[in-house]
Amino acid sequence: MTDDNSDDTARTDGTGIVPPDDETPTWRERKERTTGLSRLTYEYFERSRREDQDLREESDYVERDVLAFPVWPHELIRNLALTSFFVGMIFFLSATLPPHLGAPANPSQTPAVILPDWYLYWSFGLLKLGPLNPDLAIIGGDKLLADRTYGVLANVVVVGFIAIVPFLNKGSARRPVEQPFWAAIGVMGVVFAVFISALSIKNLVPMDPHLLFDLTFLVPPLAGGMAYAILKTMREGYMYDLNRRYYKLRPPK
Amino acid sequence: MSIERKDDHDHDAWIQEKDLTPVEQSFLTVLVWLDKRLRLVDYLELLETLYYRVNLQMPKSHTEQYNLDNKFWYWYPLYSLGFFSTVAYIVAAISGALLGFYYSPSAAAGSVDIEGATVAYSTVAAIMTDLNFGFFLRSLHRWAAQVMTAAVFLHMLRVYFTGAYKEPREVNWIIGIILLSLTMVFGYTGYLLPWDQLAYWAGQIGVEMSLSIPLIGEWVAQLMFGGFSLGQATLQRMYILHVFLLPFIVTTVIAIHLALVWMQGIAEPH
Repeated sequence: MTDDNSDDTARTDGTGIVPPDDETPTWRERKERTTGLSRLTYEYFERSRREDQDLREESDYVERDVLAFPVWPHELIRNLALTSFFVGMIFFLSATLPPHLGAPANPSQTPAVILPDWYLYWSFGLLKLGPLNPDLAIIGGDKLLADRTYGVLANVVVVGFIAIVPFLNKGSARRPVEQPFWAAIGVMGVVFAVFISALSIKNLVPMDPHLLFDLTFLVPPLAGGMAYAILKTMREGYMYDLNRRYYKLRPPK
Repeated sequence: MSIERKDDHDHDAWIQEKDLTPVEQSFLTVLVWLDKRLRLVDYLELLETLYYRVNLQMPKSHTEQYNLDNKFWYWYPLYSLGFFSTVAYIVAAISGALLGFYYSPSAAAGSVDIEGATVAYSTVAAIMTDLNFGFFLRSLHRWAAQVMTAAVFLHMLRVYFTGAYKEPREVNWIIGIILLSLTMVFGYTGYLLPWDQLAYWAGQIGVEMSLSIPLIGEWVAQLMFGGFSLGQATLQRMYILHVFLLPFIVTTVIAIHLALVWMQGIAEPH
């Protein structure tokens, strides 16, 4: 474009767009001239675009190698149908089960039952792990951390562990049967969350609090172990079916 | 040579040479006038594309293509939990905005009819007893919040057990955990607003929890609760967190979360 127009005589009728002269850089040139991070970004984009292009050209796959399916329309249409039902459920619940409004706040009278909302029970329960807070003989049987600091740290540890799960469990296994260990960890977590929630409201649960405390730490590993055993047993038959179907569709080269 | 510009795109001449009814003519004139300024045609084109897209036959999904549907259909409700929590969030936002018209976050002495009531408590009581549909409105807000929280927890379990947090989606998993925590903070701040006994003593637990954080405990307690004992400052902070800060933050993070889902697609177990 630039070269074609540059040696034309200047138009004087005022209708044309003024052609850029040789000194005016095109947008591509401007991009290429920039330095530093933006320059690097530009170069990387160009590279990765070329890489994609090459991969696509040399690939002999006709069908897409599916790792995901699109949000629109598959997922959204299905979700809209299911969700409209759920929203009806919210309206039904709020019409039939209205919320409670207790007595007004009174700082001088502690009620017998102090509760957060149900979804914070697990966190509330982790605050009551005082008996697990070790005493250290070195500091004369004192505790290194106050019980409540210990409880807050327990929260941080639990959430932190959940956050790093993708970096601990790698690989392409998706189904619980393909990864019995991680499924068992999940089952253990869920059972533990249920028990620690019950522990946080132990004065409302019709059970001996000491028994409940012991069960909180005994049942989850047990449930996890059972899940592990069951999944391991199921695995062989399941994987056989899965592999047969998969390799029928995409025979190995 | 005339000063007037004349080319293929002389729309006025085009309108003149067509034989149009006054309605059509004025419509076209307005459209051209607006389009010159706002480039409306681009947006119309987008709409047209959308119109034709929805009329296309749905392409086969992975599960349909490989005839896995007979194994998977009963998981579908679990796959809609994320969208469901978004919808519950919208319901809670709308009902919450309506509740906000009638609520005032004040710990001053309220209605004389109720022993020891603050203004906050009295306004909630008034919403529930005096306001038309107020009872339902508060109920709806509370249930939408409860259901959203439940859906978010179950959504996390679904993602965990189907391994959907794996390779390309680690970032979204972490964003999801942030969202889950923010949802719980949202619920907690809302729980405190009626300023009844439960709210007050849940607030007390919150102050003690923040005070137990090593090193920064006192600072956090002062920032979030406005001091070490509960009062007007606490209520006002909870209110601003609940109706101003958190809505902006959570909406933005939800938008990012959904954008990533859109870009990466739905992970299918296979």
